[in-house]
Amino acid sequence: MDREGQKRILEALVLGAPAPVSAEKIAEVVPGLEVEDARRLVAELGREYDEQGRAFEIWEVAGGYQLRTRPEFAPYLRLLHRERPLRLSRAALETLAVVAYRQPVTRAEIEAVRGVEADAVIKSLVERQLVRIAGHREVPGRPMLYGTTPRFLEVFGLGRLEDLPTLREIEELLPPGAETTGPPPPASAAAEPGELEPDVESPAELH
Amino acid sequence: MSEPGISTSELRAEGVPSASACAIKLQVFEGPLDLLLHLIRLAEVDITDIPIAEIAEQYTEYVALMHELDLDVAGEYLLMAATLAWIKSRMLLPPSAEGDEDEGPDPRAELVARLLEYQRFKEAAEQLGERTLEGRDVFAAQSPEVERAPDEERPLAVSLVALLDAFRRVLARSGGTGRHEVATEPIHVRDRMLAVMDALARFESLEFERVFELEPGRPWSRTLLIATFLAILELVRLAALRVYQGLDAAGVPEGPIRLRRAEGPGADAWAAAVAEIT
Repeated sequence: MDREGQKRILEALVLGAPAPVSAEKIAEVVPGLEVEDARRLVAELGREYDEQGRAFEIWEVAGGYQLRTRPEFAPYLRLLHRERPLRLSRAALETLAVVAYRQPVTRAEIEAVRGVEADAVIKSLVERQLVRIAGHREVPGRPMLYGTTPRFLEVFGLGRLEDLPTLREIEELLPPGAETTGPPPPASAAAEPGELEPDVESPAELH
Repeated sequence: MSEPGISTSELRAEGVPSASACAIKLQVFEGPLDLLLHLIRLAEVDITDIPIAEIAEQYTEYVALMHELDLDVAGEYLLMAATLAWIKSRMLLPPSAEGDEDEGPDPRAELVARLLEYQRFKEAAEQLGERTLEGRDVFAAQSPEVERAPDEERPLAVSLVALLDAFRRVLARSGGTGRHEVATEPIHVRDRMLAVMDALARFESLEFERVFELEPGRPWSRTLLIATFLAILELVRLAALRVYQGLDAAGVPEGPIRLRRAEGPGADAWAAAVAEIT
């Protein structure tokens, strides 16, 4: 099959797939196409759309490719969609941020960071398939651990979790010249979120 | 429906505008930490050197105002007020001796650490919100998930007998029957439910017997096999997954039994149910 033919099949796949479709999957489906070629063809296709001034472009999200309308057409599409457009409250975004950067994370840890109760927000994020239960921590009470979903990557246009911008370091938030006061005393209320705490794999089982 | 005399609506019309204006302003805060950050920014003070007395007073005024406006003041706000009062009292204590050493940790240190930590995530959240979001700013071209299981593969197409038979084959193959097993770790059905759902998130559908071959390298003890089987049954009960089997031309079940994640609204309800199992 010639290159143009392969490119058209690839285009059809990216257009009609039910979820972002990976280069590996494309190579599997398109006759005689290697994974690297698939990536090259996607890039080529993207350039074609740009040159032709199409209303859509190719995005790489959640480990795959997807066709998406350009942002300038959002106002029209919002009129078209019967469902309410995606709205995320500040509470939802803050909770998502903690989950995304600290996963796997317990509810208590989320609450310790935000200083407010997180139960309802977590529930709604789970319902919206942005957050999922990712196991539990092997400590008394076996609290559930939360993590983000592939859907989270799709909604936020991330290829993978590593594409999240790095969290600002505490030092950058301080005014120049300020000294940190050293580690804080043990938290009084909730458990201090610790990246070093045992996670799911921990064999420590307390009875 | 008019009321005689001074109508309550008139009274309300007088009182409400200012009150609701405050209410709107107050609800802008995501909690005590957010309110504190706001006050610190307003006061234009260094976050590592908060004038506690001043900030605590303003904070208390806000919380009192919320009370006055009959807003539901969450306990977290009151807890923070108490924390501020405590820090304030500690700051008032005279230093034990002259000199900077040996003064002990700054009573504000923990609060500052929490504020900075919260600020990091607050900023990260703002960044997330500013991204180009699918469903808000851009819209994906994708066909809705095609229902791959044809009608004759509907859930009940697999009988419990067929499922039990399949599981007996799994048990037989494991050869664990009757052998002494040392319980090295407690096995929880809940964990197995999560493991099965995880596997089904990775594979579109999974042959029933293959579920017991996941996690290569893990010794599949009889207990683990049974717990996993129970987990599958429980997930079916919660409508989190579907078990189905093909039918032959005569409508008799045939071929391997397969598992697939349930789709549609409510498909994630199992997560909440799992959370309740202890």
